[in-house]
Amino acid sequence: MRDERQLLEFLFSLGQQSPHAAAYSRRHLLRMAGRLGLGAGAAAALARLLPPPVALAADPPALPEITSIPEKLKGSGTVRVCSYGGAFQEAQRKAYFEPFERLSGIKVVEAQGPDPVKVKAMVDTKNVEYDVGEFDRASVINLLNKGDYWEEIDYSLVDTNNIDKNFQFKYALDMLPYAQTYAWRTDVFKDAKPASWADFWDTKKFPGPRTMPAGSGGLTPFLEAAVLADGAPMDKIYPIDIDKAYASLTKIKSSVVKWWEAGAIPAQMLNDKEAVMAVAWNGRIAPIQASGAPVEIGWRQGALRTDAWAVPKGAANRANAQKFTAFITMPVPQARLSMLIPYGFVNNAAAELVPAERLKTLPTSPDIKKQMFIYNSQWWADNRDKVIAKWSGWLLQ
Amino acid sequence: MSAIATDAIRSPARLRLSHPALIVPLLLFLAAFYAYPVLAMMLRSIAEPTWTTENFRAIVDDPVVFHVLWLTFRVALIVTVACLVLGFPVAYVLARLPPATSNLLMMLVLLPFWTSILVRTYAWMVLLGRQGLINQLLLALGAIDQPLQLLNTTFAVYVAMVHILLPFMILPLYSVIRGVDANLMRAAEGLGATPFGVFRQILLPLALPGVAAGCLLVFILALGFFITPALVGGPRDLMIAVLIQQQVDLFNWPLASALAVLLLAAALIVFAVLARILGVEQALGRVQR
Repeated sequence: MRDERQLLEFLFSLGQQSPHAAAYSRRHLLRMAGRLGLGAGAAAALARLLPPPVALAADPPALPEITSIPEKLKGSGTVRVCSYGGAFQEAQRKAYFEPFERLSGIKVVEAQGPDPVKVKAMVDTKNVEYDVGEFDRASVINLLNKGDYWEEIDYSLVDTNNIDKNFQFKYALDMLPYAQTYAWRTDVFKDAKPASWADFWDTKKFPGPRTMPAGSGGLTPFLEAAVLADGAPMDKIYPIDIDKAYASLTKIKSSVVKWWEAGAIPAQMLNDKEAVMAVAWNGRIAPIQASGAPVEIGWRQGALRTDAWAVPKGAANRANAQKFTAFITMPVPQARLSMLIPYGFVNNAAAELVPAERLKTLPTSPDIKKQMFIYNSQWWADNRDKVIAKWSGWLLQ
Repeated sequence: MSAIATDAIRSPARLRLSHPALIVPLLLFLAAFYAYPVLAMMLRSIAEPTWTTENFRAIVDDPVVFHVLWLTFRVALIVTVACLVLGFPVAYVLARLPPATSNLLMMLVLLPFWTSILVRTYAWMVLLGRQGLINQLLLALGAIDQPLQLLNTTFAVYVAMVHILLPFMILPLYSVIRGVDANLMRAAEGLGATPFGVFRQILLPLALPGVAAGCLLVFILALGFFITPALVGGPRDLMIAVLIQQQVDLFNWPLASALAVLLLAAALIVFAVLARILGVEQALGRVQR
């Protein structure tokens, strides 16, 4: 499934108008189509199906530039970086990779599909294919519990002055805060707006099909939402009573038409009205909103999650990987990414570089952040096995 | 040029070309990239963390595994039967048409066959969605007032899987039916057999190796299906491959291996049953002469 993720993203992007429409130029499409084994004729036919790019309301403001970096971040050779492909990785290329190559003298070689399972296999067989990858913190800790699979982050290279302590982990440095929260069709719910998980669970007030993350495909079910729907306050979510959370999830089960295993699916389902309410990652909702889908995000009681860079043990260019990690968490690269894709930043100094209008839409903007709870990666690292073990049986009940 | 080629065919070199040693590279390749990984996986299911039957006991103790295995077999069986019913007439027509026409029509079978599974699955998502082509058409015709829930259902899994696996049924059927002597059927007709009688007494028995090979291919491929049910299926369309991946993700590779061994054993049992009924040769799709 993961290897096919990029293709899936591409296919979904055909049905939607991405705000990064320029990235999916006709030529890009033809190239992709060629890779899929479609002939030129079929590709041209596909290209015709695409609506012409919408002009964005205003020209996006120019990205902040970075002109110099500390001497200790410079080097030579290459660093192999593994991220999630698609429009997301294109944004990372603009925000991170291009300035890093220019300023450090280190060439970035891109890979796609970070997978902790593969990291274990790569380190076990001493055949590590990439030097740094984007993972979620819980999966880094999980693999750490199995053995010595990660390099320690070299914090002597990182300017940590403006990075929250809880973003700094011995074996991973958080780089991308995002919200896992609810979104809904505003053309279906015109009068009332859902504002809590209790509302998401309320199928009388907000009737219609829903979609939520699955406990398979490398994901975990959203037990926090179930706990909150049950009436717990946000500061009493953890430790989660797994059985109670599943019992709460059972109450919404009959309205969930799909338990998704890929982040593109809830956006696609909302866009096509297959679901009227969905649990989704906020960055996935932005493109369908930009294309005009009547969809709104609710932040209240959402989860603030983060992805982190981690360096697999024994990666050949681990020294460069450390420099790369230190570079991209600097204010300018962090601000550049947040301006390209509505995800937050871990370096608070980036706030001064992001236009105020944009800042308001990010999950780390103060007004939004305070409505959400911080996702507890440590709890998930300790309890994931137990939660997943119950998933399939619960699903088939 | 042609003289040289003819000479080469007539010379003793031709004999040497069919020497059994020629399959050695293939055997080495299969040993290194197929047999070894499969054996390593089987070993892992009983040898990790130590020599143990724990992994298999965990499976036996878990009713979910057998429930999912049953669901997987049911999907595979229904898809196989649907492919056979839909594919047999197509293969028959293709086999009986003059080559020029049948080659052209064969492209219609092969083109989707060459296209990525994911692309074809996505096509079904576009077709079956609430705002998809089928619902739009039915709404426009006034046949329905509300869009039907077609996508994210078990029905969608069947439709998409049958579409993807149909060529695996048609191709072996086609090659076997093409080898059936049309004179036999004409003779039967001449002797007064009804069309159904010709089908039942002449065509079907002679096409049986193709039926067996097609069913076996489709059934075994269907058992391992994964992406298609995840994308177009409903909330309960769990396949055994999903359970295996869950265990891989939890780094419980011995248990994942045990599940894979179970799936392999199940596939072998199906083959054994088919071989028992039809004979090994026929089950493998070889025409007996």
